[in-house]
This record gives sequence, structure tokens and C-alpha cells, in this order.
Amino acid sequence: MTALDARTVTIGTELLPLVKGPITREDLKRYAAASGDPNPMHTDEEFARNAGYPGVFAHGMLSMGYLGEFLVQAGGVGSIRRFRARFAKLTWPGDVVTCRGRVTAVRDEGAARLVDCDIWTENQEGERKLVGAALLALTRPEA
Amino acid sequence: MPSKEMIGRVLSTGSATVSAEHVAAFARALGDPNPLYVDPEAARRGPFGTIVAPPTYPIAFMAQALAGGADVFLELGLNFMTLVHGEQEFEYLRPVRAGETLALTGRVADIYEKSGSSGTLDFVVLETEARDTEGELVFFSRNTLISRHT
Repeated sequence: MTALDARTVTIGTELLPLVKGPITREDLKRYAAASGDPNPMHTDEEFARNAGYPGVFAHGMLSMGYLGEFLVQAGGVGSIRRFRARFAKLTWPGDVVTCRGRVTAVRDEGAARLVDCDIWTENQEGERKLVGAALLALTRPEA
Repeated sequence: MPSKEMIGRVLSTGSATVSAEHVAAFARALGDPNPLYVDPEAARRGPFGTIVAPPTYPIAFMAQALAGGADVFLELGLNFMTLVHGEQEFEYLRPVRAGETLALTGRVADIYEKSGSSGTLDFVVLETEARDTEGELVFFSRNTLISRHT
């Protein structure tokens, strides 16, 4: 089951949004442990404040993980060929993360319909946090 | 400032076997309910015949297989206190499968600095490739780290 239909996908098609969160400090501890990220900036309030931040903030890779789930929702497991994100702004505990994307190009290659997308996350205020792009390979519909 | 002489150097190599438990813990930490990541029975009946990993799992696998990553930052002369992940890029040839052994090679791809209103920033681009036991490329990671000058 995938959300993007290879028969109808075209430039400008919007990917089905995915809403995650609100992010909790517990989420950050769980992600730190599971990903093997030792940086205390995401789990230790005092450390984060000493480094000049108002408190802990989310791993950029946690939000990128949400974008991964969002892309798999669009194209299916194994459909992603390329996937990049720039961590433009910090995501904080309490933020609701909405993953969004829009198709920028479609072309065929062999049995695959290749779909380029701009992708991003935004919080509850519509502020873009991660900004990136992905290339999905969908199964090409019968001609 | 990290030395430009580091560009092109192989920084780290390592090899590890992908554990289904590690993949499942990673998927749970993302709150991703996809059964292909966590349910061996569903995965066996699925298109890959076994548990596969979520798209950003390589970051956790690299941390596990390239243990001692903090030494790499020291060697690069990066300030851990001000170090942030600026950009991340993956290329995939196929999904990572539980039970397979992958060999990683990490290189310094680029080092440069940019000056802006908040001072000078050091950029270090690390590239890591993962190959299976047949020598086939499975994924490629490009990681841009940013550190403020101190």
C-alpha cells in the first residue's frame, strides 16, 4: 500500500502529510539510545544550557527519521533511491512535526517511474525545520 | 580549524552484522509502526523475506559499527561543544536486511569554512559507504558537520 499513485503522479502532486509528536524528552532519550548518539545536547538540560541553548533540542536525525517514514508511506519500503535533508532550524520538545512534500519531476527509467520531491518538516506554527529532497522509484504502470 | 590535509583520508573502517533487535529498537524510537521493521513473521511474508531497516537506520548502524566516533571528531579538531549536524544525505541501492554483514569505509570528503554574522564556521563532510559480503554497495552516506570557531 503506497500513497503515491505511479499512474497519476505529476509535477506539483503533494505527498500525503505525516504528523508526528508532540516530541517529548522521553522520545529524545529513546532515540539517543537506539541511534547510539552520545551527544548530551539532546538529553541533558544543564549541558544544553551551558552550551548557550534554552534547553535540550531534538536530534536532527529524529526528524529525518520521520521524513523516512513519510517517504515510505508515499512510495513503499525500498522505493527511496536518494534522500537528503538540511537541518535548517532546531526542533524542540513540545513541537508537533508535520512532514510534507511536493513532486518536482517525473521520468521513466526501465521498469521504474522516478519521482523527485522537495520534502520538509514544519512545526505547529508552520516553521520549516528540515528542508530536503528525495528521489523515489515507483513501479511503472503497464503502458 | 580542521586541516585540509585530512581531505581524502580514510578515517574509519568497520564491519558489523545487522541485528533484528537493533533495527526494531530504532524503528520503535522513531514511532514507526511498519511491520517489515519489527515483525519477523510479517517480514518473512513481505517483499524482502526478512526484517529490513528504516531509511535512516544507517546512521545507527554506522554509530555501532564505527565505534569510537568521538576520536574521529578529536582527530579532525572539531569542537564537540559547538558541533552540529548540518546536512545528511543517503543513497540506497536496496534496503538493509537483518542478519547481513556490512563493511563500512568512512572518508573525509571535504573541509571548508564559511564566515557569517555569528563568526566563522568549519564544515567537515564525511562520506561512508557500506558494502555487503559480495562487495556490492548497499548504501552511501554523506554527513556534513558544522563547528563554530573557538
